[in-house]
Amino acid sequence: MKNKAIRVGIYVLIAYLILGLLFHFIAGDSLRATADTTSPVSPKAVLGEFVEKDTIKQPFVCEYDSLTSIGVLIGTNARKNSDTIHLSIWDNPNREGEPLYQSSVNAESMKDNTTYVWELGDKAIQNAAGKTFYLELESENGRKGNSISLYYGNTINAGRFSVAVDVFPLEVNGEPRLDDDDNPCSLCLTLGGIDYHWVGTYYWYLYGGGALLLALYILYVLHCKKHEKKCVALSLINSMLKYRFLMKQLVARDFKTKYKRSVLGVLWSFLNPLLTMSIQFVIFSTLFKSDIDNFVVYLLTGIICFNFFSEAANMCLMSIIGNATLINKVYVPKYIYPLSRSLSSGINLLLSLIPLLLMLLITKTPITPAILLLPFALIMLFLFSYGVGLILATMMVFFRDTQFLWNIFSMLLMYLTPIFYPETIIPTQFLWLYRLNPMYQIITFVRTILIEGISPGPAAYLGCILVAVIPLLIGLLIFKKNEDKFVLNI
Amino acid sequence: MIKAENITVCYRMSHDRIRSIKEYLVALVKGKIKYEEFYALNDVSFEIKKGEVIGIIGNNGAGKSTLLKVISGILRPTKGTVSLQGNVVPMLELGSGFDYDLTGRENVFLNGAILGYSEEYLKEKYDEIVAFSELGDFIESPVRNYSSGMVMRLAFSIASMVNPDILIVDEILAVGDMEFQEKSYARMMELMSHGTTVLLVSHNLDQVRDRCDRVIWLEHGNVVAIGETQEICDRYVESMRKT
Repeated sequence: MKNKAIRVGIYVLIAYLILGLLFHFIAGDSLRATADTTSPVSPKAVLGEFVEKDTIKQPFVCEYDSLTSIGVLIGTNARKNSDTIHLSIWDNPNREGEPLYQSSVNAESMKDNTTYVWELGDKAIQNAAGKTFYLELESENGRKGNSISLYYGNTINAGRFSVAVDVFPLEVNGEPRLDDDDNPCSLCLTLGGIDYHWVGTYYWYLYGGGALLLALYILYVLHCKKHEKKCVALSLINSMLKYRFLMKQLVARDFKTKYKRSVLGVLWSFLNPLLTMSIQFVIFSTLFKSDIDNFVVYLLTGIICFNFFSEAANMCLMSIIGNATLINKVYVPKYIYPLSRSLSSGINLLLSLIPLLLMLLITKTPITPAILLLPFALIMLFLFSYGVGLILATMMVFFRDTQFLWNIFSMLLMYLTPIFYPETIIPTQFLWLYRLNPMYQIITFVRTILIEGISPGPAAYLGCILVAVIPLLIGLLIFKKNEDKFVLNI
Repeated sequence: MIKAENITVCYRMSHDRIRSIKEYLVALVKGKIKYEEFYALNDVSFEIKKGEVIGIIGNNGAGKSTLLKVISGILRPTKGTVSLQGNVVPMLELGSGFDYDLTGRENVFLNGAILGYSEEYLKEKYDEIVAFSELGDFIESPVRNYSSGMVMRLAFSIASMVNPDILIVDEILAVGDMEFQEKSYARMMELMSHGTTVLLVSHNLDQVRDRCDRVIWLEHGNVVAIGETQEICDRYVESMRKT
């Protein structure tokens, strides 16, 4: 008995070590650094022909730790121009000292109405975060009829609207360029950069520290077991062992009765997300398709994740009052009821991953090792849904209005989650609020690993963990505090 | 074996039950949330030794069922503690965990799990349960096709296939037709005579006199007397006659 406990402890530690190594193999690069680009202001007007000796000065702030590329939206006036454009980046407005970067480009290679990107390569500007830089563009021998022009603006698109943004003033030959309302404007710049994360830098220290803490905790639990003291992990394991069979039976019951009298039975678990996806695909592909790469997979991940959440939350909602007769007759820890409901929805979720995998293959989306991160996202999704389910189950016992309120609220949440529309239609100034939506965090995480095939940066992991654990803790607390009163109210 | 100390169960009964947020807010604003305190059990203490068969008697509403719920852990007392050793099996209402869409076999395992049996134990006893219930091939068809007598027979067979340390019985159950009633009665007697600690609630005083070592007499949530079976039963009958 004692040896068995020690063996389990060692297994846990080994599992941690293997998972940590595997995780570094899959996500190591993303943990160290993530690449990103800014979106430019919307073009409003062109500067006009960019001719000999014209100088354009554009200050900008870099948000990235390292500035790796800079793109400018240009127009060629629909012809080939034989000018040479000199670009330089300075750390001061007065061209003192050496430029941080300079490059000359033949204008012939530029395409009309596209962003021309200067890759800084090994000249990438390090330690750039938060600093102001000055971009200068000069035309060597541009003439009227043989010159490019540059777009500028001071708004960004937010869905159907455009929103004014504060920009650093663009100067042409020392004169600030203003729009019709005398507001400063900026070139349509696209900055590309890399953010470095300390998590990646110190990964092995964190890994080792985690292993040490885990080992100490396992020793503590073993100590508690030996002296028959109480501790959280031990009582968790004990109740898991004790109620494992009951859980198995309850989950099997939910799952069997769900499709018991239907002809297609368990096939519905595959068909349901596929059919929903097909309908929404037909409806929305005309509206948004151009904005979204791989719309099929985009849509299906959103539908599957949200369907699970909605199903689990609804099942949990009824789990206490629906089992009223049992709760009145037999003692079973009450958290078992919502947990078994969430788990049976979880099985459904796993089944609906099969059509998702199928769609990945059909759309020829490259499947990378990042797909191994899927269990993390799914576990977070499960914990979040269980947490919400606990809150709902508790509320439902005391206020039967909860079910109707929840119907409305979950619909609202569905529209607040980018399931079938692209995130870009959200006004940028509300994005931070929009991103507080837990379903947003989780669905975006899943999409990054499936569609882009890479691991998201550390912030996305933290986001997922927070949106799962906070509702879970609140749910457990509320449930625990009220569970003794359930029997009096059902 | 079972030690109950100062168990008090106090319900707060609002005059009209508030079921929605709107009603709650309206009542709160009006300052009309008044609770009436109702003591289902008031300061009940007793001790039961291993292997004793204890009868609990009293009129309707005396708190007998509440006491059973407290001991089986369904209801947490407002005050006081219950400490007990061993597993408790309540036979309060048969078949409450049945799912009518599942087959008899599936329900044996589901209901068994709810009653706290282990998987191995159920697998071992499965044939015995089916044999006792006399359901035959019906065990493989959904419970919704059963007659009510069949449901009760299956439920009883599952519930009685126990080997508990503490058995809680709300009326001795005799279900089904005459033959099965006899069989189930015999089965209950067998369960109660194996050195199991039994708590029996019954209105059938003859059964109590027959079976119990001691009796707890409850009235309006208070213990009137605890003691030797015949004596307490006599006093109970006497007090009934007076009123």
